[in-house]
Amino acid sequence: MSALLEVRDLRLQFGGVTAVDGLSFEVRAGEILAVIGPNGAGKTSAFNCISGFYLPTAGSVVFDGKAIVRTVPRIWRRLGLVNLLQSFGLYRVIPSRVTKWGMARTFQNLRLFRELSVLENVTTAMHANLREGFWATLLHTPGYRRAEAACVREARGWLDFVGFEDDEQLYVTQLPYGEQRRVEIARALATSPKLLLLDEPAAGLNFNEKQALMRLIRKIRGLGVAVVLIEHDMGLVMELAERIVVLNYGKEIADGAPEDVKRDPAVIEAYLGVDESEDAR
Amino acid sequence: MVRDLDHALKHVSLRAPAPRFERPRPPRGVFTSQQGFMRALGVGAVLLVAVLPFMDASRYTMSIATSALIYVMLCMGLNVVVGYAGLLDLGYIAFFAVGAYISGIFTTVLGWPMWAALIATIVACVTAGIIIGAPTLRLRSDYLAIVTLGFGEIIRITANNLKITGGPSGIHGIPTWSFGPWSFDDGFNLFGIDFPERVVFYYFVAAVVIVVGVIGAGRLAKGRLGRAWKAVRDDEDAAEAMGINTYIAKISAYIIGAVWAGMAGQLMATHLSAISPNSFQFLYSALILMAVVLGGMGSTPGVIIGALFVSLAPELLRDFAEWRYLIFGVLLVVVMLFRPSGLWPATAVLPWLRRTRPTPPAFTEATAVPASVMESVDGTPTTDAHEGDRA
Repeated sequence: MSALLEVRDLRLQFGGVTAVDGLSFEVRAGEILAVIGPNGAGKTSAFNCISGFYLPTAGSVVFDGKAIVRTVPRIWRRLGLVNLLQSFGLYRVIPSRVTKWGMARTFQNLRLFRELSVLENVTTAMHANLREGFWATLLHTPGYRRAEAACVREARGWLDFVGFEDDEQLYVTQLPYGEQRRVEIARALATSPKLLLLDEPAAGLNFNEKQALMRLIRKIRGLGVAVVLIEHDMGLVMELAERIVVLNYGKEIADGAPEDVKRDPAVIEAYLGVDESEDAR
Repeated sequence: MVRDLDHALKHVSLRAPAPRFERPRPPRGVFTSQQGFMRALGVGAVLLVAVLPFMDASRYTMSIATSALIYVMLCMGLNVVVGYAGLLDLGYIAFFAVGAYISGIFTTVLGWPMWAALIATIVACVTAGIIIGAPTLRLRSDYLAIVTLGFGEIIRITANNLKITGGPSGIHGIPTWSFGPWSFDDGFNLFGIDFPERVVFYYFVAAVVIVVGVIGAGRLAKGRLGRAWKAVRDDEDAAEAMGINTYIAKISAYIIGAVWAGMAGQLMATHLSAISPNSFQFLYSALILMAVVLGGMGSTPGVIIGALFVSLAPELLRDFAEWRYLIFGVLLVVVMLFRPSGLWPATAVLPWLRRTRPTPPAFTEATAVPASVMESVDGTPTTDAHEGDRA
């Protein structure tokens, strides 16, 4: 099976701190992969590298045959101009480009557009897929009206898909937390991704909402979208994931089916610690 | 219909399933929908602007009204930058100056006709927007404000010192619009009423440009580009993650703002027929920004009200002589105390259309989750299982 996302030896350093230390894994098309690990293990940092927000210190990320991490010629490093060039979008792939290639993501703490309505939040995410020119917008041509109608219809389709049944004209701040999570997933889906990165989608949800989330994630996989999720809720991860990658201190310590990972001594050590008295004996 | 929709959306790998049901068309009446009401209000405002010269065509009224309209244009442009895209610009008057000076130089020094100068003005403003925007838009909030403040001063001081801009005394004798043999200087007769004053023509020219400008900015804000601007304003990282190139979104907001200000600058140059660096002080940048914030950032009616307030209040308070700026200031503070999000906020809904949130379904035995299910996931009971017990 060909890999949709291939991460090789990913390394990310902030000064002296190594957040991600030689991480390698791959995501196959249409699978559900969970990335777990104790707090501060570098899960979100790795996500940010993969989606183009952080520039990793070393390593390669290939998504759908396209490299997300670019190599910088050594001369720029020597001149100390790497950061300047990368801030202007050279020798890097900006996150919006990564999204256009088909990788959508959600954020750990909800980051919806607070001053836009639910419907507008989802239509905003269709930015890259919408055929709508500047002059058409100014002149309100028939093409513009059609594009807007298509956009709204598509957004409603996604809202229905995630099971949002409230009033679409409400501002997102008026919604309960669980509904906001749904809208965020609908918004990510509206970018028409091949791979969906979910950063702690179940955080702060109650039991019923978690059950609904699991059904939703399976439904998304049913569309042929690969799902990678970071999650702390072991119950949810064990039930949902087909494969689990475990991180600790920025390193991958296990990779495999849920049952195997559960029994892996390295994983148990990372989560529960080693029994020191046993070691001393 | 479906084929049209497929064309409108670019070829994408993943399409949404069809919505579960077709929504009924929203009401479109004047009093049954926000959009209809705003449209009616807009038509009313345009009629009022068109009728004003027939009621009072005195030189004083016309010139005050023209400058008020120019303020509206400026504020609509700044609203795109500050209200929609959320980029704090403290040197916005610089684009106004670029527009005024370019049209002044091209018509007096180079002797171009006004319509040619208009094209030059737009090109110059787009260029100025890119020159200032490209390096500075990587900065965020406070830093951007400082850089734009500096840019505003640079333009004014440059105009003050260059020979081509006439130095401190500025440019005089900017010619009026002319179409072949017919020029605005000649005066004309409309519907049996004689308009000998050239201020009236400028009023009409300004009115047409501003109506187009206001409608254009409002339309842009509702389309794909406007949604991108608002997304950048609300959360830049999330916008980037949604496939919006935030850099292009921000620079396009800057360019649109610059063009709107440049058009306003040209209107002012022809209206006053003389410009000097003193008209482009920081005070005016602050005044326009104040009008936008006062009216309600990102709201077209709010910004128009704010612009009219800021431009007309000092005139209406003229009777109070030297007290007028004090009263003006107190009025502003009072308004901001009682309407902190502006006189007409962008999120305002007409009172009779305001909807309450649908109440969530009541908790009943049927919707309750049995305790056995609650424990099934990871073997330990979740806290939710006990939530009902407390009540």
